[in-house]
Amino acid sequence: MSTVAKMSNPSSQTMVAEAGKKRPFRWGRAVLLILALFWTFIAIAPFLFALTTSFKTQLDSIDGTVIPWLQYQPTTLNWQQEFGSGGAETFKTLRSSALISLGATLLATFLGTLAGYGLARFKYGIGNANLVSWFLSQRFLPPIATVIPFVLLFRDLKLLDTLHGMIMVNTTFTLPFAVLIMRDYFADFPSELRDAALVDGASEFVTFWRVALPLATPALVASAIICFAFSWNEYLFASILTNRDWKPYPMMVAGTDSVRGIMFNFVSTRMIIAVALPVLLSLLVQRYIVRGLTFGAVKG
Amino acid sequence: MKSRAKYYFLMPGVIWVLLFTLFPLVYSLYLSMTDFRMGRDPSFIGLQNYAEILGLDGGGGDTKALETAGFTLFIVLGSTALTLFLGTFMAWIFNHDLPFLREMRAVITMPLFAAPVAVGFLGVVIFNETNGPINNIFQGLGMGRVNWFIEPWPARFAIMITDVWQWAPFVFIVVLAAMQGIPDDLYESARLDTKSNWVLFRKITLPMIAPALGTVFLLRLVETIKILDIPTTLTRGGPGSVTQSYAFYIREVGLRGSFQLGDASALSYLVLIVAIIISSIYFWRMRARYE
Repeated sequence: MSTVAKMSNPSSQTMVAEAGKKRPFRWGRAVLLILALFWTFIAIAPFLFALTTSFKTQLDSIDGTVIPWLQYQPTTLNWQQEFGSGGAETFKTLRSSALISLGATLLATFLGTLAGYGLARFKYGIGNANLVSWFLSQRFLPPIATVIPFVLLFRDLKLLDTLHGMIMVNTTFTLPFAVLIMRDYFADFPSELRDAALVDGASEFVTFWRVALPLATPALVASAIICFAFSWNEYLFASILTNRDWKPYPMMVAGTDSVRGIMFNFVSTRMIIAVALPVLLSLLVQRYIVRGLTFGAVKG
Repeated sequence: MKSRAKYYFLMPGVIWVLLFTLFPLVYSLYLSMTDFRMGRDPSFIGLQNYAEILGLDGGGGDTKALETAGFTLFIVLGSTALTLFLGTFMAWIFNHDLPFLREMRAVITMPLFAAPVAVGFLGVVIFNETNGPINNIFQGLGMGRVNWFIEPWPARFAIMITDVWQWAPFVFIVVLAAMQGIPDDLYESARLDTKSNWVLFRKITLPMIAPALGTVFLLRLVETIKILDIPTTLTRGGPGSVTQSYAFYIREVGLRGSFQLGDASALSYLVLIVAIIISSIYFWRMRARYE
């Protein structure tokens, strides 16, 4: 937030002054604003369309109308069905999603914070950049390439369709985000703080725990939210490694049409449920998205 | 004491990657050299799986692998090019003094956080042939209706458009951040020479955002090679199998039907090689930043 504010304020002032001086016509800016609004609309319109479709009956769901009350009579039938009569499976899979994602988030953030601090604070003989690529590698591998060994491994270790199995998998996928976000944060940290604590006789761990960690709360939250969102959205491994007991919600979404054929109203309801949480959480971490998703390669 | 402490910070993470990233890869390499099928003991057959896929054993090679790789390449190139172009263009627009900039930016990044499985279904609703919004708009513009899920090329483009919709915002926010980092005085002195926005963009903006563009380009490449969830729910690989991606095909071979885990692992290793090459370029460029 602060970076954006810092960056955009001085530049915007000069831009305004510039526009006022050199370009008497203001419509250039209007065109830019219209294009910006248009893309904003494109980004959100499919969500809104799904939302409005989720309040339709099956009959209305294929008639192409969009405005409730005016064009069609909205109904909460789909939502009642998803959470009411047929709600047991919904709640169970949402609970699985929540527990898997929370577990993976905690574990990835824990491992990532330690490793990130180490990478930012110390020099390792093997080369810090090599270590970073070691952690990042998971993010660059196509998951389909590791799913088969995981199936066999999990079968032998009796981890198929278990909570801790799914936590392990999602921790593995989200660890790169946690390591890189935390490393990036600790690297920008004034090292005087740490040195002062060390001079006072505190050990490396006490310094980390008492000085660095409390100040890193914003990065911890950002890292946790990004890990949570990616775990919540994971589908491939879930579809192969879980079955009845720990099936997360994306599998409910993917299974919608095989049960009753494509019913747009019902599909839309599940769609909205699946995307709501991570999309809303993303609003809290705006200033970390650029750094987080580029693994610190681009400062945002 | 101090020298040992630094390893304690790093070790848990390193061990985790060793167990859950490196070990599966090594295991997979071994499997790719066996004729393993579910419920049958594997026997070592060396590089035979690879020879069969690539047609080096005198057979015709795995044509289905070639077809799905072709479709994946089409999506990777098309989607990467489009997301880079659209993302950069929108970043340029947002790099002006516009009202509600931050709010619009937040809305635009929303698709990034939606589950790709759900995004595929979103496409099902949006591209719906009889009364979906896209076909209704097309009809309104007098372009007629498109059979998105029945005809091969529209189906391929439906996948690409959906992927672009989800990922153009990624390029957009990264490039916008890079543009906002360009010092204003660079523009001010250049404005003395030219009034053309295009010249300013080409001579100043583009060179300054080039490193960020390179980074998103490589990240988009590796990310799109993985594409699987969107075809799974949007087209189910159809019509026929024209929208089956390479990852989709690996899943068909190894985890459906006769569970040919050996063949699937060999197919996986071929795409891994591509991913490793791209990520090596990435790490080579990023070394200094991560040191």
